[in-house]
Amino acid sequence: MKSKSNTKKLFIHLALLLGVGITVFPFLWMVLTSFKTVGEAMQIPPTFFPKKFLTEAYTQIITALPFARVYLNTIISTVVTTVIQVLFCSMAAYAFARIEFPFKNAIFVLLLSVLMVPGQIFLIPQYQIIQKLGLLDTIPALFLPNLFSAFGTFLLRQFFMSLPKELEEAALLDGCNRYQIFWKIMLPLTKPGIVSLVIFTAKFAWNDFMWPLIVNTSPKMMTLGPALSTLQGQYTTKYPMQMAGAVMAVIPIIVLFFIFQKQFIEGVAQSGIKG
Amino acid sequence: MAESKGNTGTVKKRASKRAKKDWIAAYIFIAPVTLGLLVFYIWPFIQNVWFSFNEVNKFNMTTFVGVQNYVEMIQDKEMWATFGNTLKYVVCTVPVGLFLSICIAALLNSKIKGTSIYRTLYFLPSVTMAAAVAMVWKWIYNEKMGILNSVIRGLGGKGVGWLTDPKIALYMIMIVGLWMTVGYNMIILLAGMQGISKSYYEAAAIDGAGSLQQFFKITIPMLTPTIFFVMITSIISGFQVFDVVYMMIGKTNPAYASTQTVVMLFYRQAFDYGYKGYAAAISILIFAVIMLVTVVQLWGQKKWVNYD
Amino acid sequence: MKKNLKKMAALGLCMAMGTTMLAGCGGSDSGDGGSDGGSSSGGKKTELAFGIWDENQRPAMEQLVEAYEKEHDDVSIEIQLTPYKGGEYWTKLEAAAGGGKAPDVFWLNVLHLDSYVDGGILADMTDAIAESDINDAFPEALVNNYVREGVNYAVPKDFDTNALWFNKEIFDAAGVAYPTDDMTYEDLVKTAEDLKAAGLDDGVYPFACPVDFQTWYYQTVYANGGYILNDDKTETGYDDPKTQEGIQCWIDMIEKELSPGSAALSETSADAMFEGGQLAMNFAGSYMVPEYAGNDAISDKIDCVEIPTFNGVEDNCINGLGYAVFEGSKNKDAAIDFAIWLGSTDAMKLQGETGVVISAREDAQKYFAEANPDYNLAAYTNHADEAYPLPVCMVAAELYDLEATYLQKAYNGEESLADACKELKEEADALLAK
Repeated sequence: MKSKSNTKKLFIHLALLLGVGITVFPFLWMVLTSFKTVGEAMQIPPTFFPKKFLTEAYTQIITALPFARVYLNTIISTVVTTVIQVLFCSMAAYAFARIEFPFKNAIFVLLLSVLMVPGQIFLIPQYQIIQKLGLLDTIPALFLPNLFSAFGTFLLRQFFMSLPKELEEAALLDGCNRYQIFWKIMLPLTKPGIVSLVIFTAKFAWNDFMWPLIVNTSPKMMTLGPALSTLQGQYTTKYPMQMAGAVMAVIPIIVLFFIFQKQFIEGVAQSGIKG
Repeated sequence: MAESKGNTGTVKKRASKRAKKDWIAAYIFIAPVTLGLLVFYIWPFIQNVWFSFNEVNKFNMTTFVGVQNYVEMIQDKEMWATFGNTLKYVVCTVPVGLFLSICIAALLNSKIKGTSIYRTLYFLPSVTMAAAVAMVWKWIYNEKMGILNSVIRGLGGKGVGWLTDPKIALYMIMIVGLWMTVGYNMIILLAGMQGISKSYYEAAAIDGAGSLQQFFKITIPMLTPTIFFVMITSIISGFQVFDVVYMMIGKTNPAYASTQTVVMLFYRQAFDYGYKGYAAAISILIFAVIMLVTVVQLWGQKKWVNYD
Repeated sequence: MKKNLKKMAALGLCMAMGTTMLAGCGGSDSGDGGSDGGSSSGGKKTELAFGIWDENQRPAMEQLVEAYEKEHDDVSIEIQLTPYKGGEYWTKLEAAAGGGKAPDVFWLNVLHLDSYVDGGILADMTDAIAESDINDAFPEALVNNYVREGVNYAVPKDFDTNALWFNKEIFDAAGVAYPTDDMTYEDLVKTAEDLKAAGLDDGVYPFACPVDFQTWYYQTVYANGGYILNDDKTETGYDDPKTQEGIQCWIDMIEKELSPGSAALSETSADAMFEGGQLAMNFAGSYMVPEYAGNDAISDKIDCVEIPTFNGVEDNCINGLGYAVFEGSKNKDAAIDFAIWLGSTDAMKLQGETGVVISAREDAQKYFAEANPDYNLAAYTNHADEAYPLPVCMVAAELYDLEATYLQKAYNGEESLADACKELKEEADALLAK
């Protein structure tokens, strides 16, 4: 019995490792390339490991960009976007999933329709709104339109809908009002959904590129995405440098994810959903 | 949605006073998102509808032209070709992506060591910037210098123009698309799986159900709301696929025509050529198609999605 | 046709007239007083935004701004940089202009001029330019690049031409003589064949022929007497056999395997290959010089010569930028004053000495070559007066894309050039008629 489950586990690990190989290889390749010289990166046939691990690409990037400031802007924008968007979305998602009110379906479909429009069409009108508000080239401009998300509302609504109704009904009979139910009972139960949205939003805000580029002009107000893109435009053939930039952009969010998932996903799984 | 009808009945019976209070609460709950979306998304969209009936220059000055943009669009061979490519992309990537994400999520949901490491590794691609992803994959696929071809040559094969052969380039882009999204969808599905109460599995185990049976009898049915969500958002984002293609396929690439997606056409018309009116008409068409597909799915979900 | 396109400049007609009438500061001061509503010279500075796209040129632009601010202590200028790549610079400029908030002074290229004139966002600078020495001190063709219906819309900033670069290391290894300034197209082919015969390393090619108009085939098309657009911009010249010969000469080199195929070049650009040591020779615009010079892997192994002649005709394409002023600027007079100043001897010298671009002003062109003495950069300026400007029209961006799509088929061997050009002409003419 025991050995059988061990073989099974071995197979699971093998299957997962195969997937990991495919998933991680391009990233690994990115990291390895970032330590090569321009000439070595283009060699035929390619070398796998750099002949010599050079950190030149990284020092070049750090000197080419006001990195501390850019990182800080990106962090502020990401944190504000994530916290407020998740709060707003979870409120709306709860109402759409659990409360009956007039025009509910009409409003929901209206909001959902936003998802179906190619995002690029919003670019210029949103720019003009920010312009009218006098917020061009400021930190709030970076996150304002992203505080509201149809995707997030839809995502969390699905999670709220999959929760058992009994909990809520019991609370209602106990005399709790809707706000209490939402805050004290339902919200904690949707942690997996919320963490999904947190990760999605954080990743989106972190990597967002076209919007910050258009709306903010001075280097002091830039975020990582456009800053790196400026670099890429500049050093089109310096592959190691471009890869180094990508690696530096990805690391903070990976660390964030690693911490986050432990706290939330596993926490929820262990405590069990049945209250 | 459909399932709400039954609820409305029962709610009414209980107490209309509470219903009124509920309404107020509900409107308060939805107010921020609704108002924000109205200002920043829905109003621009309405503007866009207006643009589609106008000739709009680069600086947003408009001349009314009626349905001319739509007539032109229907006659535009390029539009149909890009739409065909997009459809191909959706039809291939959505089922494959869903299948892969469910499989990986299921494997990660078992009691094995190192799940958090696996999760992080699988998640890696979806947090990497699209520009960097496109670049590294272009590098891997490169016919002359790419590692893929050098492995094939090492094994005695012949190099392939992965991104320049019109017959296969779109499929190679699909692989990149999947590579970027499977990890994220897997995390959502995994979160959904871990939200399923353990008591169901315990009960099934007592009844003697094996793990495969448990997977099909409990996990999948309980997971349908999440699956539905992943499916619908994958379809929507599939129809809007843009940045990876934009960054991987240049204008002089022989595979250009066979990889252009409809959003790329929209982008080029609006931003490269400055035909914002025509581009608006294309975006309305994309919207209409996605809307149609979504409505069909919302309608179809009651047959298989299990909310409770 | 050819003559009109070709005659880059009847330059130097009035070179001697020299430095008169730098647009006076008095004019701008009175303008400011008016718009500010009386706060004449007290405290408040006139703020100008200056839109640019090239990070390489930011230091030069900063120096210019500093120098101008020193002369005009009532003006403060902020540089706004948006990358050119992917059309980001233009997207942003257009969004901002639509909302009345474009930078007061910004870089503009000829490609976008017609649609921007049409959109009414460019200030009329005719009078200011006439008052300055710009008409005398700049090549006429460069000034006229930005004239539409008798109105000046920009002060020429710089220009770029092309040169033939080569990798000495590869030539030495193959024992082939370096290219020279007086080469012809036939010599180029011969050199490439010699290199190939000498045996190059795996993956290394003698030359590259990507589907690139400005740096490759427009030069030979024009030198051969062909044309792309007719004078009144109603018809394209792709069906002209002379046009086709100017394109075919590059396809021939691919067929002789002196260049990688066009598919491979669409994946790895000729510049990337040259910088990676995989091309013995390459054509490159003058804007590539800072990049080549800054690449330690090749910078000391390379040099350049003039573009080879074709049918005995000097062939080169010229393009460039100008400083334009936003029509909706709140400080239009101050902005125009700054733009005119950017064309002054001092400003053009400052820009030229950075060695990043070739200053448009006649007396400042020499600084480009002087700034990089290691290379034979005179190759870029020797025949600049005979170089051909790019064909432009309202739909230029679309036309170039269409051209690339069809010519690619011919380069790739999918279709004959004649067939591809026939289809291309049909579509391109329909586009012009739109």
